[in-house]
Amino acid sequence: MSVMLTKFESKSNRVKGLAFHPSQPLLAASLHNGSIQLWNYRMGVLVDRFEEHEGPVRAIAIHPTRALLVSGGDDYKIKVWDIRPQNRRCLFTLHGHLDYVRTVQFHHEMPWILSCSDDQTIRIWNSTSRQCIAVLTGHSHYVMSAQFHPKEDLIVSASMDQTVRVWDISGLRKGSPNQGGPGSSGPNGSSNFETFDTFSTVKHVLEGHDRGVNWATFHPTLPLIISAGDDRVIKIWRMSETRAWEVDSCRGHFHNVLSALFHPKHELIVSCSEDKTIRVWDLAKRSAIQTFRREQDRFWILASHPNLNLFAAGHDSGLIVFKLERERPAFSVHQDSLYYVRDKYVRSYDFNTGADIGLLSVRKFGSPYVPPRTLSFNPAERAVILTINSDNGIYELSNLPQQAQGELKDSSVDGKKGNGQSAIFVARNRFAVLNKASQLIEVRDLSNSVVKSIKPPVQTNEIFYGGTACLILSSPTAVVLYDIQQQKTVAEISSPPVKYVVWSNDSSLVALMSKHTITIANKNFSQHSLIHETIRIKSGAWDDAGVFIYSTLNHVKYCLSQGDHGVICTLDNPVYLTRIKGKTAHCLDRSGRPRTITFDPTEYRFKLALLRNNYEEMLYIIKTSTLLGQSIIAYLQQKGFPEIALHFVQDTNTRFELAIECGNLDVAMETAKTINRPECWERLAQQALKQGNHKVVEKAYQQTKNFDKLSFLYLATGSQDKLTKMQKIADARGDPMSRFHNALYAGDVEGRISVLRDVGLHPLAYLTAKTNGLDDLANEILEAAGLTEADVDDVPTFPASTLKPPPIITPTTDLLWPSLSTGENFFDKALASGQLEGGVEPSYVNGDATAGHSALDAWAKEEELQDEISPEDGGWELDADGGEFQSAVEGEEGVAEVEEELGAGATPGPSETDLWVRNSPAAVDHVAAGSFETAMQLLNRQFGVVNFEPLRPLFLSIYRSSHVYLSPYASLPPLKLHVRRNAGETSPSRVLPVAARSLQSIRAELTDGYRLVSGNKLAEARDTFRSVLQALLLVVLSSDEEAKQWRDTVTAAREYLLGVLIELERRRVVEQEPDNVARNLELAAYFTQCQLQPPHLQIALRSAIGAFSKANNQAHAARFAKRLLELKPDPKIATQAKQRIAAGDRNPRNAVEISYDEFSPFEICAVTFTPIYKGSPSVHDPYTDAAYLPQFKGTLDPLTEVTEIGAPASGLPASW
Amino acid sequence: MESSELYHIKQQFTLGAYRALVKQDLPDESSPDYHALLLYKTRAFIALNEPASALELIPEGSENIAVKAVASLARYVAAAGSEQADAALEELRDLSVEIEGDDVEGSDKDKALVRVLAGTAFARAGEIEEALETVTVIVQIYLSINRPDLARKQFDRSKRWAEDDLLLQLIESTIGLVTGKDSYSNTSSFYTEQLGNPSLTSPHLLTARGVTRILRGEIQEAKSDLEESLEQQKGDTEAEAAYVVAAGLGALKRPEAEELWSKLAAEYPSHPYIQDVLQKADLFNQSAAAFTVPPLAAIVPI
Repeated sequence: MSVMLTKFESKSNRVKGLAFHPSQPLLAASLHNGSIQLWNYRMGVLVDRFEEHEGPVRAIAIHPTRALLVSGGDDYKIKVWDIRPQNRRCLFTLHGHLDYVRTVQFHHEMPWILSCSDDQTIRIWNSTSRQCIAVLTGHSHYVMSAQFHPKEDLIVSASMDQTVRVWDISGLRKGSPNQGGPGSSGPNGSSNFETFDTFSTVKHVLEGHDRGVNWATFHPTLPLIISAGDDRVIKIWRMSETRAWEVDSCRGHFHNVLSALFHPKHELIVSCSEDKTIRVWDLAKRSAIQTFRREQDRFWILASHPNLNLFAAGHDSGLIVFKLERERPAFSVHQDSLYYVRDKYVRSYDFNTGADIGLLSVRKFGSPYVPPRTLSFNPAERAVILTINSDNGIYELSNLPQQAQGELKDSSVDGKKGNGQSAIFVARNRFAVLNKASQLIEVRDLSNSVVKSIKPPVQTNEIFYGGTACLILSSPTAVVLYDIQQQKTVAEISSPPVKYVVWSNDSSLVALMSKHTITIANKNFSQHSLIHETIRIKSGAWDDAGVFIYSTLNHVKYCLSQGDHGVICTLDNPVYLTRIKGKTAHCLDRSGRPRTITFDPTEYRFKLALLRNNYEEMLYIIKTSTLLGQSIIAYLQQKGFPEIALHFVQDTNTRFELAIECGNLDVAMETAKTINRPECWERLAQQALKQGNHKVVEKAYQQTKNFDKLSFLYLATGSQDKLTKMQKIADARGDPMSRFHNALYAGDVEGRISVLRDVGLHPLAYLTAKTNGLDDLANEILEAAGLTEADVDDVPTFPASTLKPPPIITPTTDLLWPSLSTGENFFDKALASGQLEGGVEPSYVNGDATAGHSALDAWAKEEELQDEISPEDGGWELDADGGEFQSAVEGEEGVAEVEEELGAGATPGPSETDLWVRNSPAAVDHVAAGSFETAMQLLNRQFGVVNFEPLRPLFLSIYRSSHVYLSPYASLPPLKLHVRRNAGETSPSRVLPVAARSLQSIRAELTDGYRLVSGNKLAEARDTFRSVLQALLLVVLSSDEEAKQWRDTVTAAREYLLGVLIELERRRVVEQEPDNVARNLELAAYFTQCQLQPPHLQIALRSAIGAFSKANNQAHAARFAKRLLELKPDPKIATQAKQRIAAGDRNPRNAVEISYDEFSPFEICAVTFTPIYKGSPSVHDPYTDAAYLPQFKGTLDPLTEVTEIGAPASGLPASW
Repeated sequence: MESSELYHIKQQFTLGAYRALVKQDLPDESSPDYHALLLYKTRAFIALNEPASALELIPEGSENIAVKAVASLARYVAAAGSEQADAALEELRDLSVEIEGDDVEGSDKDKALVRVLAGTAFARAGEIEEALETVTVIVQIYLSINRPDLARKQFDRSKRWAEDDLLLQLIESTIGLVTGKDSYSNTSSFYTEQLGNPSLTSPHLLTARGVTRILRGEIQEAKSDLEESLEQQKGDTEAEAAYVVAAGLGALKRPEAEELWSKLAAEYPSHPYIQDVLQKADLFNQSAAAFTVPPLAAIVPI
């Protein structure tokens, strides 16, 4: 137990008393300054404060089932509080103690409160009647603590009188003893104490402490008591029905020990002391196993949580809440199985079936008090590596049994251990171990021996799996992706210390979790986004759709890869997520038990769909789920999808806003009608004007009676009759200004004059009439004004006015401008047509996926349409392509200049054939490129080819087949196009010519050769084999496997060619030198030594048997017959062979002596057809490896007729 | 808008259906399309390497520069290699200069055509410098000098002003042929699409698709395309040359392939393909000569 894990810390006045809430994350602390604090230790907030005591409050307790708090102070009072926030108050006060109250406690089932005091008494109070029901006397000094037994009717108390007493209170249960008893409301004097004594008796008095005893408590299940005293000792006592005795002491504190507790789950004691330490002791061994020290503060009080692995300690300047061990179970997920450690057993849990079985015991691994920290699972070997924090960090590699057996194996039997703080599998047979102190990462094999040591490039605290042959190194300020093989940093992201790493199911994304941040990165760390959490992050797992689900102390949340995140559900207690499947989150709880949480993924699925433009799914979600409400609308609006938000909204005002925002005039119009407020119409008019929809504008203007604008609009649209109407309206309204305007717009001179006359502007009316040539009217005006021409002769005469409104060329009244495309969107269509039912059902939402794809089809159609109209992107993919070539040219040539002025001055680029030559070391590719010279050099170097003439047809036909011509445009010379091997490859550094002849086709030719051999057409067979050997020089190979096949084919062709040549030579000897029987026999024998296939070897052997028996070499013939038999020939042939063997047995002699020793291995010189026995000097053909006598070095190989015997050669280049 | 007849002719011309094109009768001289159709028809004849027929078609004394240019090109093609060819080339050069002036008969379109025709001739004559001045052929010239990047650029530029998207698609597919982008999928689908055009059949398209299929490594399919093309238009050099390539890549047995090749080489000794291979054969001899061939290993009589 190397670390005390502090979970919460507060600063305050000295803390004298502490109590945990049994179910909520609340902790009550009583302070020396008289205040009582109620903390939410998980969130780190002060929930409430109760300040009614005067002077220090030492005693505090929370009711096990009700929202009650009891406290006791130096003001002698015991107060009971209701702690519900809505009801918080002091319920009542119990008076009776005559001195400081030291401890208080609720009984676990009776309505009793236990208290003890410096007045040397222990009192029991009935919280219902609020009466003291018992006073236990006997201690002769301050009673420092008193506690009920968790199950039995016992009390244990500790006192400054150096004793610990156990009291039997079973009498109390039988009846309330103080009925009519002494009123406990006041200090009634000592005489009353006697009456209570009858109901309780001192059962045991435990003497042994040398000073006052500060604390005594029962073990939750065993008959044990521990006590802590000013003698700096913790004593352990055992009791029976009749007596109690001291068992042992724990020594180590060097000042007063103020409190000591049994660990609720483990055999441990925790104690605190004025020596500023908290110590942890082994209950069995009574040895100190851990000490936690503060520099300044003395510890006054300890409390343990009734259910959880949590402790609290109060000291001089506040309190701390801590854990003694990690609760996070070590686990690892592989496919549908979870491998995890619970109670020091490695177990497996099947997510599908829920089968949960133990596989391996790790009880002897590290400290018994410490659970393993991490587990790394290797599916290939079915092995695990565990690490543990004890013993300065050790790891252990063990194999899991295939099935659970009856008796679980302990890992100590065959586990392989070592020191290291972090250990993980990095490959099937390799694991990496980090040693933090020496900053060394060792890569070890499965036998635990080091194969490689790495010095990490940064201070590394933890290592994680980083993908194939990579590690993720967590340093204090960054996280590094490190390549083990190349020993170099691939990428680095700055981040707070990363504690956990989770890879997505397809290994494309990784979540790097630290205390308060999550970094989502892709697999090479080139892209990442960061999420910040104020609450501590506990765990995470990937959803199948690529959404990261994580848990904090109190929430399960989701996070999309672009960093958007939100809450899925709340948690009472932290869980450790292991796997997310659809709407089920698998997790381990704090006690390491697998459980599942069902949640609603709709929200993040919707956001994900939005992010991926997956409209069908969004639509489906909208239709089928209850996803509504302001938050999603706000989200959509904020993310720039008002048109989608529109479909969620019922509220008219919001609908109007959204419709305006996304330019949906129809909806805006409709809602504006409902709202019918001037500002709405104005905004609608503005938006419609922007979009050029003047009909909507007109309507809006009409609604707001905006006559001026309306008139102008009619002018702009050339709507004469509407203008006339406007004139009439103006007339009716009696608005001369408006009438004048309209008359002006309409070019209605008489109208204008009439307005002017009506308002009494006769001079203007007269002039208007005059200048427009309306003399009669002018005169009429004059008359009306009572004037004559003569009166106005001083008025200058103006020429006739030519001013008039421009003529209307195209009346646009009924035409709309091409309005801003709002695009009939997918939603409109789908929602309007109601065709959604059974659209495409996303995998996780309820309901049956019936296949009606109309919505999808509609969408797809729309998409196609878009493709066609935007050639810039998508369809043509022009730019990307251009760029690619650009850079390629730069890279290859160094001619980076991109002439802005195309045309003159364009220099030729590298031709495809140049690229081929550059990209391949294979002669055949050079041939295809037409670079015969380099091809020949290559063949010469690789295979010692010197005579190229026989290869000429091959060269030309390969070249011929690698280029094709086409004239795409009239009359121009055709373009020379180059046929590539892999049509999908366009990168100039990888293009290669087509394989004109495949290895397969050459092998087919070889088979033709075999057939010729069987058919006894040896001369043709010879030519075929030779041609095969030559063709094999120019064949494209693409893998090691093919190379091997190639080599086999070369060897086979060589052997057959040799065999055929020997047989031809034999036939020549038979024909031309019939006397040379020995040579004839030798050649027949050698033929059988060639590596032929069984059918052909049978032919060779039978021919040899014939020749030898004819020459009366029966012994040899018998040998050949035996070999023939081994090949399991036809029965008929077998019978003949057996006869030959019999003949050989009868007459084991050879008439003709020949140079043939079948028992010592030899090769056959392909020139002389004589054996070259093993160990004799020989030279070889650089290509086929055929053997020759040394004198033939430097001559042309008679088999291939192209290579030089004994020439140096580098062999086949591996270009794949 | 051009008339549907003209559109059809244009389509035929662009996609290489020359034989079908020249079979069509010219409209009456007064027809507004007459001029354009005449030009296409003569150019088709030239493309079919029948410049004489083209010259016959051209009316005497036409002042239109485009018509003059076509005539010059026809003369150039007819007289390829001789001195007259140079004269024809000079004419084209003069015409190219003339169109820069204002006082010539002919629309802007005609002027552009002069450039194209001149460029065609220049390209044939190997005068790349001048040919680059003409627009339409530039792409192909870029491609022939292994600068698909520039071709792509030119193409992108033309996209901005050109409306004839069929021609553009052709250019696009031609670029695709050279670069091999996406396994030639664009080119392949272009030709397949055009083959599906019911109003137009052209063995040239079949040949083009056959070639594309060779490039895609679909040798058997290529073979069937080319065979069909040869059936429709016997003796088409291009198709035959492509057929030889397909044969060499395994569509036919080797002796057959060899035989086809010999036949082709004998029939069209001047085709660039044949020329190229023959040149390579010479190169082979030269290169092979660099190696001394040792004597064949043999038993030396003692």
